[in-house]
Amino acid sequence: MENIRATVDKKIQSAPKVAIFKSTEKRDDKWSVLLVEVGASQDRRAFAQLFEHFAPLLKSFAQASKQDGWFPGLAEDLVQEVMIKVWQKAAGYNPQKASATTWIYTVARNCRIDMLRRKCNTQHLPLENEDYWHEPDEETPVSLLRQKRTEEHVKLSLGQLPREQDEILRKVYLEGKSHAEASQELDLPLGTVKSRVRLGLQKLQILVAPEFREELVND
Amino acid sequence: MTKFLNHHPTREMLVEFSAGTLDTATSICVSAHLHFCESCRDEVARLNEVGAHLMAEAEPETIDEGLFDKVMLKIDEPQPKLEANPVQKIGVSGFPAHVNTLIHNAKKTPVWKRLSKSMQEAKLYTGQNQFEVALHKICAGGVTPKHDHRDLEYTVVLKGSFSDENSVYTEGDFIIREPGDIHQPMGAKNGECICLSAQKAPIRLTSLLGFFLNPWLRINPS
Repeated sequence: MENIRATVDKKIQSAPKVAIFKSTEKRDDKWSVLLVEVGASQDRRAFAQLFEHFAPLLKSFAQASKQDGWFPGLAEDLVQEVMIKVWQKAAGYNPQKASATTWIYTVARNCRIDMLRRKCNTQHLPLENEDYWHEPDEETPVSLLRQKRTEEHVKLSLGQLPREQDEILRKVYLEGKSHAEASQELDLPLGTVKSRVRLGLQKLQILVAPEFREELVND
Repeated sequence: MTKFLNHHPTREMLVEFSAGTLDTATSICVSAHLHFCESCRDEVARLNEVGAHLMAEAEPETIDEGLFDKVMLKIDEPQPKLEANPVQKIGVSGFPAHVNTLIHNAKKTPVWKRLSKSMQEAKLYTGQNQFEVALHKICAGGVTPKHDHRDLEYTVVLKGSFSDENSVYTEGDFIIREPGDIHQPMGAKNGECICLSAQKAPIRLTSLLGFFLNPWLRINPS
């Protein structure tokens, strides 16, 4: 117990100090500022800039999918659907909770699931995937600070993961494969897939051991 | 206000939830847990960063020239007026919003059916066929029949609490039953307990009564 605690504490302290203390009040990256403008005043110029930046990335995300029932022709449909949702939902975007990039990723992920479900399912679907998405109500500056720290660290460390961990995270997040599917495709035991995912996430400093969740949340 | 829970979904579930690869029924249960558990919400938020950064650093693809105009045309179409969130008005207070949606937006309103003297069940329609999703209600102090599980079952406590041989489970706790687990849940004495559950195959009663009842316990995914 003590050892794990020491490791976790050390990891948190050694998180990169880039831009952490610069702004604790506001999220000031270009895309988040533009998204707030779209939400506040339906600013079309700001939306056009977001489109120009995100549409090519969304198309790339859509083309990476290797899920059953998905085909490349759906890529631009997804881009269209996501960007329309971005316009419609921008007013609900809260920069305290996530960066524009992360928020748009979750919109894209949800759209991709819903498009697949609609294609594969002729039954009436009672829930859209975004219905599952929870927005915490509390807004604490501490959590924004932590978020930024996570974002910075993920950004810095993602390119430095060992190939096998990078490969598995891409399979899970971009190709849209479950751990079980990934284990079949890579011809690896499920346990190996899980541990590679875990090791990768540890390197990105995303995991907090459950034992410490409480103190981290309450401090 | 932070409530600390003892029983959480597995890390793999949270990863798959954030990557959007978790099946519908399990997602419904994980999401119900997130409603109550701030630390898992935080973890999912951090996990989303992985997907977001992988997307942000992808090689941009060329977009069809007409697409922007197409999107702008769609945006200018008159929008159907949004209803003033009917779910929150009629939902069970304290329940996760998506569970209220499943209860109140169903074509056929779910009804409580008696499973035993102390336990009732209401099946929920979720548009998938891998799990049977239902609400279970154990009355105050109720003792349910001892049973084992042939396949996986997830349970999330939505209201009240119950206990079994291993632990006490309170609001938000996420319980995983593996095939072969035998247990006998008991409702807390101070009030009824309502749980959300997703079950892969019918449970098998281990008592003599169960032996006769078993052929009627069939899974009906909906």
